[in-house]
Amino acid sequence: MRDKAGPHDRVWEVFRQEAEGDPMIHGGSVKAPDEELATHYAREFYGRRQESQRLWIVPRDAITELDDPDLLKPPFDRSFKRPGGFLIKHKLEAARERAGSPQVDEVAE
Amino acid sequence: MSDLDTQTRDALAELLLAMADDEFVLGFWDSEWTGIAPILEEDVAMSSVSQDEIGHAKALYELLAGLTGDDADKIAFGRPAEAYRHAALMNHARTDWAFSIARRFLYEHADAVRLESLAASSYEPLADLAVKMRREETYHLLHFDLWLRRLAEGGEESHSRLRGAIEALWPDAQAVFAPLAGEARLVAARILPESLEALRARWLERVTERLQAVGLAVPPTAGSPEADGRTRRTDEFAWLHGEFTMVSGSEADATW
Amino acid sequence: MDDAARADTFYAHVSGGGKVEPDDWMPDDYRAAVLKFVEMHANSELMGVLPEREWILRAPTLRRKLALTSKVQDEVGHAQLLYRVAEDLGKSREQMLQDLIAGKTKFHNVFHYPTRSWADVGIIAWLVDAAAIVSQQALRDSSYAPYARTMKKICWEESVHIMHGRDVVLTLMNGTDAQRASVQDALDRWWGPLMQMHGPPTNPETDRDLIWKIKAKGNEQLRQEFLSIYVPRIRELGLVIPDPALAYDDEAGRWAYTEPDWDELRSVVTGHGPKSQERLEFRRDARATTQWVRDAIIGPVGTAAA
Repeated sequence: MRDKAGPHDRVWEVFRQEAEGDPMIHGGSVKAPDEELATHYAREFYGRRQESQRLWIVPRDAITELDDPDLLKPPFDRSFKRPGGFLIKHKLEAARERAGSPQVDEVAE
Repeated sequence: MSDLDTQTRDALAELLLAMADDEFVLGFWDSEWTGIAPILEEDVAMSSVSQDEIGHAKALYELLAGLTGDDADKIAFGRPAEAYRHAALMNHARTDWAFSIARRFLYEHADAVRLESLAASSYEPLADLAVKMRREETYHLLHFDLWLRRLAEGGEESHSRLRGAIEALWPDAQAVFAPLAGEARLVAARILPESLEALRARWLERVTERLQAVGLAVPPTAGSPEADGRTRRTDEFAWLHGEFTMVSGSEADATW
Repeated sequence: MDDAARADTFYAHVSGGGKVEPDDWMPDDYRAAVLKFVEMHANSELMGVLPEREWILRAPTLRRKLALTSKVQDEVGHAQLLYRVAEDLGKSREQMLQDLIAGKTKFHNVFHYPTRSWADVGIIAWLVDAAAIVSQQALRDSSYAPYARTMKKICWEESVHIMHGRDVVLTLMNGTDAQRASVQDALDRWWGPLMQMHGPPTNPETDRDLIWKIKAKGNEQLRQEFLSIYVPRIRELGLVIPDPALAYDDEAGRWAYTEPDWDELRSVVTGHGPKSQERLEFRRDARATTQWVRDAIIGPVGTAAA
C-alpha cells in the first residue's frame, strides 16, 4: 500500500551520537516535507532531553539496504578473519615452558 | 544588587515583570497547541517552544523575586488579571495556526532585539540571563522564520490567513516596546542600554525585511506605541487568567 | 518454497524468539496482527493526550506547568513513534487518523474517562502510566523488532512521567485535608478503569499475539505485576483502595480481587465511555481546522507521486 499523504511527505532516518567519540546509532525516523524541517524535527525527537551530541538526518530513499545472508553470512569458515579464530593459549604455554619463561596472564589483544 | 536606589530598583522590577509576563502569557497560549497541532512532528516542536518560554518566565520571575523579596510562583500565579504587564500582543487567544505563527514571528524578533541589547546591561544578573536566553531563542527564530515562509508560499488560503493575522496583530506587536514608567532611569543607569523606541526601530527594520522577502505587505505603523500597550486587557486574557489560577487559587496557602 | 511453507518457517522463527524487520517477508496474518496492535497503541497515546491536556492551562506552579506540558508532549511524541512503526507496515498515517476519528479503530479504556481535578492529573501520571509501563516493558521483547526498539525509547521516557505523577500525589498527600481527600476521590474513580486496563485474561493457547510473541506477557500476568508493585506504594500513603476483596493470596501466589467489570470495558472501548464521543469530536474538529496547514506544507491528500 502506498502512503496516500501529500507529495512532500518524506521519511527521514535519524542517527544519533550519544557522547563525543561514540558511534552514530540509528534512533528512528521523522516525516517532514524538506531538509530544514526534518532537521528541526530530528532535534525534537532525538535531542530535546539533551541526550545527543550530534545527529545525522538522512532521507530514507538515500539508504541502500543489504541483508542477503549469502553475502553477509556465507557458510564457509571465516574464523581466520577474527581474533577469536586463533587458539594460542596452549601453544603459548608450551613455548614458554620450552624457553624457561614464567607463565603470566596477558592483557587481551 | 543592594547598591540600586529604590527608584532604580522599582524601574528594574517593572522591566523584569514586563518581560516575564510576555514570556509567561505567550507560553500559556502556545502550550494549548500541545496535542492538537497540525502535524505530529510540529506538535512536539511547538510544545518545546512554549516550554522554553515558561522556562524563561520562571528565570525572570526568580530574578525579580530576588530583587523584591517575593516568591516566583506567587508573582506568576498570585495576581489579579489587571496586574499583569504583558504587551497587548499577548492579549489574544491562540486562534488558528496562521495567527499563532504570525504572533511568534513578530514576538521572536522583538524578543531577540531586546535580549541582544540587554546582553550588555550594567545589571549583571540580567545580562547573564539575556545571554542564556538568546541561545535558546536561536532555534525559535530559525523555526518561525521557516514557518513564515512556508505559510506565505503555501498557496492562496495559507497566504491570505497569514496576511490577515499579520495585519490584525501589527498594532499590538508595537506594544512590546511600549514605554515603561521608569525607562529614562533604566537607560541612564545603562541597565537598559538603549531606549525602547530605538529597539523598536531595529525590530521594525528586521521584520519589514523578512515580510517583504516572502511577499507580505508591511502594515502601516501609526507612530510610537500607546502608553497603555502593557496595561490594556481583553476578555480572552481574563479567561486565560481564570484557567491558570483555577488550581493555584483554589486553596489559600496550599502547596502544589 | 511456497507461501505456506514459508509461513511455517516464519512462525517457527518468531515463536522461537526470532526477530522480524520491516523489509523481511512476513505472512499477511502476522503483518495484520502487528499493525492492529501497534495502531491501537498509537491511537491510545494520541487520545491519552486529551485527558491531561485539559489541565495544561491549569497547572498551579511554574515547575508543574513545565512538567505537565513536557509529559503531554512526550505522549504526542510516542504517538508519532508508534504511527511511524505502523506506517512502515503499510497503512498511511492519514488513514489511521481518519479511522480513529471515525470510531473505526480503538484506544485504551482509561482515556474515555473525565479528568475532574488536579488530583486526577497526579493519579493518571502515576498509576495509569505505571500500569502502561508494566505492559510496555514486556513489549521491549516483541518479535517485531522496530516495535521492540521503539518501546525501549518509550519506556525510558515514561519513567519520568511516573515520577512526576508520584511527586504530584505525594505533595497533595502532605498538604491540606481537602487536598488529601481529592486524591482519595480520584483513586476511588480511577481504580475500576485501572483494573480493567490490561484486559480480561486470555487463553495463552489461542492468543496469537502471545504465540507470535508480538507481546511477551498475558493480560493477567501484567495486572498481577502492577498490583505487586503499586498496591503497597498506594497503601503506604494512607490511601484506601476501593476493593475490599483485594489481598495477596500467599498460597496461590497471586493477588485476589473483585472481578473487574468487563462489560464496562467492552462498552467503553467501543465508544460508549463517559467522554468517548466528546474526545473523538474534539479530535475531529482539531483535524478539520488544521487541514489547510497540512495542505499548505505537505500537499493535499491523494496527490502522492507514484
